[in-house]
Amino acid sequence: MKAVIDARDLSKNYGDVKAVDHVNLHVEEGALFGLLGPNGSGKTTMIKMLTGQTRPTGGSATVLGLDVTKDPVGVRAQVGIIPEQETPPSFLTAIEYLEFVGAVRKIPEIGKKADWWFEFLDFADKKNVLCKDLSRGTRQKLMFAQAFIHEPALALIDEPLINFDPIMQDVVKDYLAGYVKHGKTIFVSTHILEVAEEICSDFAILHKGTLLHTGPVAELTSRGEHLPAYFLSLVRKDRHA
Amino acid sequence: MLELFVAMMKEEWRVHSTMFGSLSFAMFPVMIFGIAFMGAFLVPLMHNSLPAGDLTIIIHANYLMLGIMVGGFGLLGNEIMNRRFGQASLLSYSSRSLPLSERFIFTNFVVKDTIYYFFLWVLPLGLGYILASPFTGVPLASALLLLLTLTLAFLFGLCTVFFLSAVYARSRLVLLVVITAIVAVGAALATRSGLNPVLLFPPLLLNAAFSWGNLLASLLMLAVLFGIAILLFNPESVGSEKTHKDSFAPLAKRFAFLPDPPLAAKDTLDLYRSGAMIGQMIFSFLLPLAVIWFFLSLLGPFFPPHGLLFMFAIVTGVIASTMYTWVTMFDTFGPYACLPVAVSTLITSKLTTFAVLQILPAIFIAVVALLAGETGYLVPAVVLGISVSFYAVGIMAWLSGLSPSVMVYDVKVLFTYLVLVSLAVTIFSAAVFAVPASALAAVILIIPAWYFVQKAKVRWDAVDPAGF
Repeated sequence: MKAVIDARDLSKNYGDVKAVDHVNLHVEEGALFGLLGPNGSGKTTMIKMLTGQTRPTGGSATVLGLDVTKDPVGVRAQVGIIPEQETPPSFLTAIEYLEFVGAVRKIPEIGKKADWWFEFLDFADKKNVLCKDLSRGTRQKLMFAQAFIHEPALALIDEPLINFDPIMQDVVKDYLAGYVKHGKTIFVSTHILEVAEEICSDFAILHKGTLLHTGPVAELTSRGEHLPAYFLSLVRKDRHA
Repeated sequence: MLELFVAMMKEEWRVHSTMFGSLSFAMFPVMIFGIAFMGAFLVPLMHNSLPAGDLTIIIHANYLMLGIMVGGFGLLGNEIMNRRFGQASLLSYSSRSLPLSERFIFTNFVVKDTIYYFFLWVLPLGLGYILASPFTGVPLASALLLLLTLTLAFLFGLCTVFFLSAVYARSRLVLLVVITAIVAVGAALATRSGLNPVLLFPPLLLNAAFSWGNLLASLLMLAVLFGIAILLFNPESVGSEKTHKDSFAPLAKRFAFLPDPPLAAKDTLDLYRSGAMIGQMIFSFLLPLAVIWFFLSLLGPFFPPHGLLFMFAIVTGVIASTMYTWVTMFDTFGPYACLPVAVSTLITSKLTTFAVLQILPAIFIAVVALLAGETGYLVPAVVLGISVSFYAVGIMAWLSGLSPSVMVYDVKVLFTYLVLVSLAVTIFSAAVFAVPASALAAVILIIPAWYFVQKAKVRWDAVDPAGF
């Protein structure tokens, strides 16, 4: 299996604060990889660096073979991204936003694809509503659609389920599980450990910008351990170290 | 009230100082003070060529303009908070979590803005003039009176814009009626008294002859304007959903000849649907230029023939360059960060939309030239104005990237901008006053404009996109 994400000694400092500290990370094709960590552990910064939204202060990383520092736009052209906080542009309607994404990404037959997403995520009745007037959950649906509408080889999602209701969470979890079966890769960052254990094939634990562990979820469960308990013990140990 | 007000003041300071560093931002009023202090020494020299009364009018016009600009910044009724603060979580949103009404918060917001910008802009300028007065021979009482009337001029600009924007948020038709009524009353008074209506501006009347009655009348007018603005303030109803038919795809097709049709289509929809096209056009372009024309027209006798038109074209060019803020104010780089779009691509796109918008100042200068009976100088004046606008916007893009309306408060940015723009303005003012045809040579400004834009692209691609 080839690595779709290969980070070596990746670091990011904000002034004196080390947000990410010499992280080495390899994510293989077809994985549903979960980056786990408490609030402020550096997960969002990792995703931002891997998608060329912010420059590393040290180390290097390639995503789908492209250097994130030298070709950030190239990386974003190849992947799908759902940022944690970002919302779609205020004065476009939902359908116009997907058309906009389609035009920027040069996606053929964007209208048909957009309609499929409106039906699939059950918000066709909102397609002509201005994005600024959409509820948080509906905005999240729209952001989810824009990330997958071009069927990227790799999608990076910051907190994938955070604004969805339980029914939609179920739909999305099924979609993600099915997506990787087609050889695509998904990289999610989350602090909801139960979800990570349920859907992820591999995981890494990040704490205070440092990688504490990386490996397959199956390896853990085969030892009779559960991800939430393992995570808590590791982070607590590191906190007291 | 006081707690919220103090918290908002702290917040405003921290927003600015976080962006530029406390020292850099704290130097901003110091720089304004320095300019005023040193400028005061030029006043006696200017008296040789300009009567003191006209100089007073110009200074008051500047303060009125300042008020209009500051007020215009937080304009357009319902959009005021979203526009200003975007996705930031600020006290303006605290009605959602605290038992405070939106009208109460808006009142605090306006009072805070008034006081904050008074200390940031108005007081440093006035203080510079007052402290220089012992050296320039101006009596202290006159300097203090000037500070008072300039403050009133600033507040008139601010309150008028808040008043007009509150009316605008309710009804565009009523706004049109109100503006027409103001113009009609001004014209009637001017005709009856035989005076330029500018001279009936309350702060100027007060400056010419101070009386407590006049001061009270001015304050009363301000209170009425401010009170009506607060009463008419209409917080957007929660849960309303505005729908629009799909206009993006047809627009993008229509803009196929532009470098980035989807980005241009998005900018157009932003401008149109936010109301900024009409609102900004009135409050940030036509209103300031109408005020400038009034005040500039008083200086006609001191300019060489045709000088007034060319001076106005230059000023229009500088103000037209701020149209760049119209197209950059809606979005941070955030929504584009998940798309294959570089900051330089966005700058190009915003400048393309800006270039299309330049049709407005071009028409405006042409109309002024025709109304002034200067048909022969119509083309040179338009070329001069538009060239200055492109030159100034090139500098703006280089210095501030996609955040011009925020970066203006960085003292280094403002200083560099003022120096570079003044350079071109001085050179071309002198040139056109000497040889009117040299206005056509202003087209050469496109070269430095292009150079600054190229520098802007390289500069802003090399840093992490700003979150504001």
